[in-house]
This record gives sequence, structure tokens and C-alpha cells, in this order.
Amino acid sequence: MNKNLYQPVNAEIIDIIEESPTIKSFVVKPQESFKFDTGQFVELTLPGTGEAPFTPSSSPSQTEEMEITIMKAGKVTAMLHDCEKGQKVGIRGPYGNGYPINDFLGKEVYIVGGGVGLAPIRSLFLTLVDRIKDFKSVVCRFGAKTPADFIYKNTLFGKWQKIKGVDLKLTVDQADGEWKDNVGVVTTILSPEDVNIKNAVGVVCGPPIMMKFATQKLLEFGYKPEQIYLSMEKNMSCGFGKCGHCMMGKYYVCKDGPVFSYDMIKDHKNIWA
Amino acid sequence: MQTVFISQLKPFLDALASQIELYIPKKIEAHFVFSKYNPENSSEVELNNIRACTPVKEFLFPLRELAAIFPEPLDLKDIKPFAIFGLKDCDLRSIEILDKVFKEDEFEDPFYIKRREKMFIISSDCFDPAQSCICNFLSGKPFSEGGYDLNVSKVSGGFVVESGSEKGKQFINDNSEMFAKVSEDVLAQRQANREQAQKQLDKQNTEYKLDAPVHEIVQQSYESDVYDQEAATCVECQACTRVCPTCHCFYLYDTKQKEYFGKMKMWDSCMRLSYAMVAGGENPRKVLGDRLRHRFMHKFSYFLERYGIDMCVGCGRCVDAEAGQVDLRKVLKKLNDELNVKVK
Repeated sequence: MNKNLYQPVNAEIIDIIEESPTIKSFVVKPQESFKFDTGQFVELTLPGTGEAPFTPSSSPSQTEEMEITIMKAGKVTAMLHDCEKGQKVGIRGPYGNGYPINDFLGKEVYIVGGGVGLAPIRSLFLTLVDRIKDFKSVVCRFGAKTPADFIYKNTLFGKWQKIKGVDLKLTVDQADGEWKDNVGVVTTILSPEDVNIKNAVGVVCGPPIMMKFATQKLLEFGYKPEQIYLSMEKNMSCGFGKCGHCMMGKYYVCKDGPVFSYDMIKDHKNIWA
Repeated sequence: MQTVFISQLKPFLDALASQIELYIPKKIEAHFVFSKYNPENSSEVELNNIRACTPVKEFLFPLRELAAIFPEPLDLKDIKPFAIFGLKDCDLRSIEILDKVFKEDEFEDPFYIKRREKMFIISSDCFDPAQSCICNFLSGKPFSEGGYDLNVSKVSGGFVVESGSEKGKQFINDNSEMFAKVSEDVLAQRQANREQAQKQLDKQNTEYKLDAPVHEIVQQSYESDVYDQEAATCVECQACTRVCPTCHCFYLYDTKQKEYFGKMKMWDSCMRLSYAMVAGGENPRKVLGDRLRHRFMHKFSYFLERYGIDMCVGCGRCVDAEAGQVDLRKVLKKLNDELNVKVK
């Protein structure tokens, strides 16, 4: 009998963390251990309601449970936000290609993230930090609308700032009274001096408009298109390159992505929409 | 391969129907649709001159099906064997295309595969192609040379039946009493009929003749405004993609039933406005012309690059079904002519 690739693995939400006014992290425990590579995505089903694609924000080394950070954006995510601990869900995947960590070895990894785009980046960050000596450095430039909109606040404002080999800077579009760091969109804290571009890779993840301008900025700094990795958000549904919804030019984002190097996709129309 | 002659179709179909669930083309006004064969009620069986107006994909990949259930997994039930009589070469080629997608290495679709394994294919020659048929421009022919279990060709006084698989050969052997030997004259007549149908296609499609392979024309026309111009009359009925035998986009959605939660799989269309839209509201193909461009690029460029074959068989169903005035033949011709002007 053929395996039914539409059948999710049963899972349960065992914890819910409020990250920001519109974003929550869900700790999901699948019935069986669930492996994925950082940057790959899963389809999370709320039975009877719908299914949506998310890149886990936890480290792939954690296979018994995974964290999925979700912004309230549409029908399924709004219903998920109303769920409580103990909710039964389903998980299909993992799907697609994640970050090519082996290509990052010995290099400076320059990560630009914004908003809920920090979710896939957190998984990447934890993966890199696990073996930080294998990389020249990990340089992070993260932005959010306001300080309250930052997700993973505890670690972001605390532990992550102190890891040896990590250089982390934050910015907000709009500050509140206590904010001491930069104010401005994330591109205002990017500098060509942050890393030695010749031995670096750029990773960009965030809202489409931010990804567009951050990518342009990196290109201006002298990054080559093949040095920039983007985690693309399209309407991934089946997860294995058949249903067609996520097609971006010739690529199925679900199968050929969701992580692409910019040179692969730069000539296609409307990639940022 | 075994080639035999039979003077009437009814005994042939009756013998098939005694073994397997059989579907035959039924004429409704100018069009054919498939319906279940009933030996009691089918004294006048008509061989269809052209493809049915509905695509063969509906037998392999139905409009809507249950794909998964919760909390217990779906039991994949066995499918009863079935036969379809009167498929055309374009239908067979569409199955070849769907096979590439749904039988793909580690991503096999179990529902498709189960039906595909149980399908018995009886193709037949097109003896009077439709006005919208354009298979001759897309590496097709009005008759099949493979991919069938049995093939039927109309000749004067009867039909030539030919096997194309072990299963087909077995059927001929098991029912040898109803078949006669086929003469050289009859085979020559079949050949003449086939050439005649090809000539008819060449003649009726002269005005759409392209000056380069279709994928080259479409690939070079990515930036063309023709898509926006041609999409102007599109009313977004999505009929083009529904009747297309190669379009295979689907939509997954979840439902609540009395006993279980279900995940359904249903045909979808890339011509639909919100098809590619994400929850945040971004939509890479908000504009109708961009959706038409994507449909053509998928058919004639992206699919070819991935699977080595065009995703169009030239059956012309989309031309017949179109509620606006978007005509695949005219779009291709306009792209062709636009390139010619640029070259000059």
C-alpha cells in the first residue's frame, strides 16, 4: 500500500507562549518523533478548520516537540490563536529545502530579519549557535515595528546578546520611552563594514517589503546574488510540488524552496508580492 | 501486438462490460461525455469522431475526493477495475503528463496510482477532428501508436481492433470467436483514414501555424503585453483549466463531518484571483494578464523544463469551453507574430 502523503501525523499543542500582541508560539508535540532541517517548513492542520505552512522556530536537534511561531493573519491562524493547551492538531512534512548550513561553514553569516520573519531565523540561529566555532561569526540585524512587537524578547534582549561569536543589533520603526537602541527600519542598521563580504553569506527573512529592501541593500554593499539566501513566503499548500499554489516562476516554493539563493529567483516577476 | 477485425461494436462492448465497469462516450448535442455502459440500453453505440468534451483526468483525479481524515488515518480502499472506451491520442498523452506529476518518485499520490493501475484504456482514431483540435501543432496525432490496452479504428464495414498491452492481447485471445482476421486492404484503408485526418488538421490550422517550437515562442515572450490584451475578455469562469486534461492544480481544505474531520482535495484553477494569495494579503498574480501568462508559461516552459514534455496536448477543449474570447491558438499565434516583427 502506498503511503498517503496527505495524511498528517497527529500532534498536540502542549504549550502556548504570547510573543507579541499578534504573535504566539505554539509548542507542538507530535505522536512520533519528527525530524526536519532548519529552514524547512511543515503544514499544520487545525482539524476541521484548515491547514497552513509554517517554518518551525525551534532547533532541529529537538525532535520530540517543536515550536511554531504564528502571526494572526488569516482564518487558520486566527483560529489557532483562539486554541488552548491540549488542542489536537496535525502536522505534515517537513517539506522543501532549508538553509544550506554546510555552505556557511567558516563564513560570516549575516542575518537580517524582521517581524515574524524571526521565526525561521530563530531555528537557524539556534542551529548555528550549537556549533558556533564552525562559523567565522554570526551577525544579526533584527527589526520590529515597536519594542513590544519583537518576538522571543527574553532571549533576544538577554542571552543571545552575550553569546561569544554573535554580534546582534536591534532596531524598531517606532520607539517607546524605554527603547535605547536604534530607531528606523532594519536597513538603517546595515553597514558594509559589519562583515567581510568576500567571506560572508547573507540571510534575509521578514515581511516581503523588508526582504526586498534588505536584499537591495546587500546587493549595493557588494554581495553577489548567489551569496544571499531568502526564505520565501508563498501560498504553499500540498508541500510537494503538485497543487501549484506556491509557484514562483518555474519553482515550486514548497519543493524547490522555501529557501532560495537570490540568483535563482531574481529574474521572475512579482517575487516580493 | 495483435490486430483483428470486428463488424459491430456492440458484441465487443458487451464482452468488455461483462468483465469490467465500462464507460463509453455518449453524444449530447454536438459533444460527447462519458457515461457508464449499459448493455440492455445501448443498441446504437456510436464511435466518437473526436475526444469527449470532458477530460479523462476526472477518472484518475476526481473533481473532489477525501484525502485524509482525523483522528484515525484514512483507509485507502481498493478501486474496482474500470475501462474507458473511445479515448483519443490527446487523452492518452494527457495521462502521460499526469503520470509525471502524480507518480513522481518520492511523492506518489496514492489515490491517483490506485485508479491508474485499475484503468483499462480503449483508444480510438479521430476520423473527423473538431474545429478546435490543434494536436498536430503539439506533437500529437489524430490516432494513437501506443499507451493503450486496445485501439479501435473505424473502417468501412467495421472496425480494426489492435492490442497495445498484454491485458489487451489477453482480451482478444479470450474473445477470439467474435473477431475476424484483418486484411491488408483494411489496414491500408485505416492508414488512408489516418492520413486524411492529419491533412484535415493541417488544413484547418494553417492560420495558426507557428514559426518556431512553441516553448521557444512562449519563453521569449515572457514580457509580452499580448497576455494583458488577450485576458481582456476573460470572465474568470475557469472553464479553460477545468476542461483541460493536463491542468492538475488542486485545493486542499478541511471539513467537519459527523464522525470525523476530513481533508478534501478539489480541482483548482490558476486563473482564480485568490489562487496564489497568502493570508497576509500579498498576491503575486493580482492582474489577470499575469495569471494568463503564468498558465502559458507553466504549460509551455516550466513543465517542459521539469519533466521534459509540454503540458498541453492541443485537444482544444479550452477553446470550446471559453466563455470569453481567450483562444489558446490565437494567443500563441499573436506571440509568434510579435516575435517575428521584433526579429525583422
